[in-house]
Amino acid sequence: MIVRELLLAIGVSLKTSGLAALIASLLAVPAALFLAGREFRGKHAILLVNQTWMAAPTVVIGLLFYFLLSRSGPLGRFGLLYTQAAITIGQVFLILPLITGFSYMALRQVDRRARLTALTLGASRRQASWVVLREAKFALLVAVLAGFARAVSEVGIAMMLGGNIRNATRNITTAIALETAKGEFTNGVILGAILLVITLGINILVQVGLRSRD
Amino acid sequence: MSKAAYDLHDVRYIYPGSLSGFALEIDSLRIGAGESIALVGPNGAGKTTLLMVLAFLVKPDPGRIEFLGEDPWADEARTLLARREAVLVTHHPYLFKGTVSENIAFGLRVRGVTERDWPARMRAALALVELSGRESRSAAGLSAGQAQRVALARALALRPKALLLDEPTANIEAGLALRIEAVIREISRETGATVVFSSHNFSQASRLADGILYLSEGKRVPFSHENCFSGTARSDGRQSWIEPRPGTRIVFPGAFEGHVTCVINPADIELVGADDPRGAADGPNVFSGRVTRLETTEAESALVRVSGELTFRGTLPLGSVEARGISLSRPVLIKFKPEAVEIIGSEPSEKPHD
Repeated sequence: MIVRELLLAIGVSLKTSGLAALIASLLAVPAALFLAGREFRGKHAILLVNQTWMAAPTVVIGLLFYFLLSRSGPLGRFGLLYTQAAITIGQVFLILPLITGFSYMALRQVDRRARLTALTLGASRRQASWVVLREAKFALLVAVLAGFARAVSEVGIAMMLGGNIRNATRNITTAIALETAKGEFTNGVILGAILLVITLGINILVQVGLRSRD
Repeated sequence: MSKAAYDLHDVRYIYPGSLSGFALEIDSLRIGAGESIALVGPNGAGKTTLLMVLAFLVKPDPGRIEFLGEDPWADEARTLLARREAVLVTHHPYLFKGTVSENIAFGLRVRGVTERDWPARMRAALALVELSGRESRSAAGLSAGQAQRVALARALALRPKALLLDEPTANIEAGLALRIEAVIREISRETGATVVFSSHNFSQASRLADGILYLSEGKRVPFSHENCFSGTARSDGRQSWIEPRPGTRIVFPGAFEGHVTCVINPADIELVGADDPRGAADGPNVFSGRVTRLETTEAESALVRVSGELTFRGTLPLGSVEARGISLSRPVLIKFKPEAVEIIGSEPSEKPHD
């Protein structure tokens, strides 16, 4: 595998999974904030569905979106199948329950007085919600990074929705699958190590960045 | 009559989903601008709930509140404005993660106070609570007493029109508590802010407040200084007692420790002549004395003041005054059941060191 191909695969992994983590976080964190701050009928059912969804195999999500995005599917006219966008969409649905669940747990851990204190000091309800998010920022970060790690390491969605097209939708995991299928185990192990190093590097960068600001 | 800071009418509030049956019910309450009011009452009397109502953190339903002549619940914008004028310092204050100065800056930031003014306001507020120079300290490393004082400084820096304090000296050692009391007096006098604070300490409330509002079971109740005693409580686990004077013992049910203030309703006091056979001195809460005052009331009853080891006031039907051998200067016995003793304030004797 030439270096250029390797770099492209790394780029596809970072781009699709990073974007998926960002989009899923923008949806999941407000949802978790809503769930953590309120008691209402049906809340436990929502949490149960979320937990079940967390265990969904990547190939099942891949298959579902394959039907949706394929030419004859309801979203076929957008021509997204076998594109990086398709991988991102699938990965968003994969990690959405994970980030929601972890964020919910993180926000439940925040002292309930934090929100009240913000309100007593004159914060609007929106500002008080920001305070709660800020108090839980490290735990929320772990939730987002866990989502990213899940997305960047999955292979089922990337393979089914991306098609493992060379220099286009091939990412690290599909490249590992291909190299292993070809019997190039050394290449597969090297790619696996690169994946771990990338994830580790991102974790360290974000943690250091946040701690220095705190 | 001064302008009203607060005007409450038929205010009622029940915590959503509450199963306790507790409801705050205030028929009428007016707190003048610049006044200092103490909320006194036993645990569960509704002091904190009333402070939450006064801080516009919970909306009474039904009920009408005016704050500085306006309806703070008219719309969301007015509620927010009112909340920015009435700042509550809670009983166990929460400090945000970060430094002391970041905590104080929070309220200034949300009010849009220009950053240039922050340092001066922080310094002045921290000086008032004797924490000068601690701006850069991490809030996580503060003791309970320091945290309480930072929370007070955080509120003072905002220069609110109404400062609401839920047991402001609860976690502070005695010496600093006096300083906080002085701060409360200063705020009221020098800034003209209305101060409403809750306290278990009746003597503190008397010292600091222009008026005392006594609450019991969520309602305003008339407070009488009659038969009010305080002292250090001792307990055998089943009953407790205080000795307001050496050799006297007022017994009441429950396990209490620390400084306790209690009252006995005059109607619950039984008075009998010293030579009356019903006056056998058995059981707790039996005291002797002489009748030093005897007056009739409009309710066909007599109000009797008895002075002895302790001074009590009791009431009894007019018809039974003579039958019980009660007349001016005669020796009498005072009896009441432990259950008649109502605890209106209790403070743990051991305070955390600061």
